[in-house]
Amino acid sequence: MIEIAARGIVIGKASGPALVSAEAVSFLGDVDIRSGRVVGDLPSVRNASLRGTVLIMPYTRGSAGAWRFLYQLFKHDNHPVAIITNAVPDPSVVQGAILAGIPVVCEPASPIEDAAANGQRIEVEVHGTDGRVRIF
Amino acid sequence: MSVVLQSPKRILPCMILTKVEEDMLAGRQGPAKKLALEGLVQLGRAYGAPRMVEIGYAHIHAGMALYLEDVELIEGLADQNAQMAVPSSVNIANADTVNWKQTGAPEKLARLQQRAATAHHKMGSACSFTCTPYWAGHWPTWNTHMTSIESTVTIFCNSVIGAKSNRDGYFSVYAGITGRYPLFGYHLDENRRGTMLFKVDAELRGTTDFSCLGFHIGKIVGEGVPVVSGLARRPTLDELDALGAGMATSGGVSLYIIPTVTPPFASAEQAFAPKPMPEALPVTRADIDAVYTYFCTGRFDQVDIIHVGCPHASFEEMRDYANQLRGKKVKDSVEFWITTSRAVRRMAEEQELLKVLEASGAKVIADTCPISCHFARTVSPDPALGVVPPPLRTVLVDSAKQAKYVRDMIQCDTLLAPTERVIEAALTGRLVPHLS
Repeated sequence: MIEIAARGIVIGKASGPALVSAEAVSFLGDVDIRSGRVVGDLPSVRNASLRGTVLIMPYTRGSAGAWRFLYQLFKHDNHPVAIITNAVPDPSVVQGAILAGIPVVCEPASPIEDAAANGQRIEVEVHGTDGRVRIF
Repeated sequence: MSVVLQSPKRILPCMILTKVEEDMLAGRQGPAKKLALEGLVQLGRAYGAPRMVEIGYAHIHAGMALYLEDVELIEGLADQNAQMAVPSSVNIANADTVNWKQTGAPEKLARLQQRAATAHHKMGSACSFTCTPYWAGHWPTWNTHMTSIESTVTIFCNSVIGAKSNRDGYFSVYAGITGRYPLFGYHLDENRRGTMLFKVDAELRGTTDFSCLGFHIGKIVGEGVPVVSGLARRPTLDELDALGAGMATSGGVSLYIIPTVTPPFASAEQAFAPKPMPEALPVTRADIDAVYTYFCTGRFDQVDIIHVGCPHASFEEMRDYANQLRGKKVKDSVEFWITTSRAVRRMAEEQELLKVLEASGAKVIADTCPISCHFARTVSPDPALGVVPPPLRTVLVDSAKQAKYVRDMIQCDTLLAPTERVIEAALTGRLVPHLS
């Protein structure tokens, strides 16, 4: 097991298989709420299901409506259980994650995408601004 | 065996809360304020906000009937006896809650949307259901900290009025309930500075031209702050609104600066101070026309809806529409929508403009618009509502914002033309292209 410190953005604890996206995912537009699948033109994750995954991406693509689509993914039980980004995520994504109870970390001490492959089990735990990413 | 890597990032300071805010957080002011402030503290921590600011106005989420259990979010707050601590307005909704029949919306959808209105009334808010609350009387003042769920409202209030707002999401309602918002982003003067300079070298006429200018600039500036110089005259309020709507659609823009229009900037130099002014990027007529062309993908003989009123029309726009439509008839086969707020609709009614518009055969629709109503295909309503989006081929509009979202959400073709030509097309059944 490897543990990597990160900046905690949204509190909570969750684990699931890693889904590594090389591109920023916009929850408004790139993801179909009803299937949880990536429908946007993102070569690294096209057609992948976000359901139950720990979603790892470089940053979030800014859209004021992103919170609603992330919350709707949750309402349809198609949401990622945790989100890891390199750059600080968009405020709208953070609001959707708080509303849906999805823990979020950013700025990991070392790149998660180098340490984890798709499908590998990852746990995210956030207390306050202290975030931990565990790769099993 | 575990390996722990310490984060090299700085330790973020905790937010300093006032006694009143500590009381809210401890639940001594009821469950709704506790829930709301907990969310705002987490948001503030995420962005390194040192403290909360008191806000003076909130433009909040409607509770949208086309999304699963979304109206219930607002009802849940009302059930916890949440009350708006500051003047608030409510964003655009998914159905005309009074005249839904003329839009073809299922009654169940309209009834669900009405439940959201009831919840907002219970929370002490005039339920405006509009994306242009300023035309309905919600006009904050310079330096007022505020919140908005609608990015067009954010950019208008920042850039025209000089209020201070981020592009918020759902938490605008939490800010309204507590009267608080974390101090970060565009609430800080240091972020209210130009990042790019544009010099407009084109004659612009009407809101559609300005929405195209905004769309062009937003694409280039991304999440920055464009300073717009070179305009031959001071744009009208409707044109300033259209400009911001265009920018907020193609980019993540929260604030634009037009020197002598945007408070407190008297010059382009001042908009960049203390940094030096960058070299200006020219904007030509060809750049504006390219936006029109980009949104002209459809065929006019396949137009199913003709629409004006994005963002929701002002009283002055309603008057202009009426002047063009007075004594004339919309072509039989044409479905022509004018969308506005219920408040402006009432103003138009009192001056008999509504009579003129309706006598022409135009449908005057409040609370919603084509991209916000049951035409959208990217929504996920409760199946029991019986929502079936109609098969639309092409929608003709006068706004780059509406065009972008018709494409993305209704997922059909668009045509974009200046307002008078769009209305002319509704009357004659023929669109005269303004670009050769």
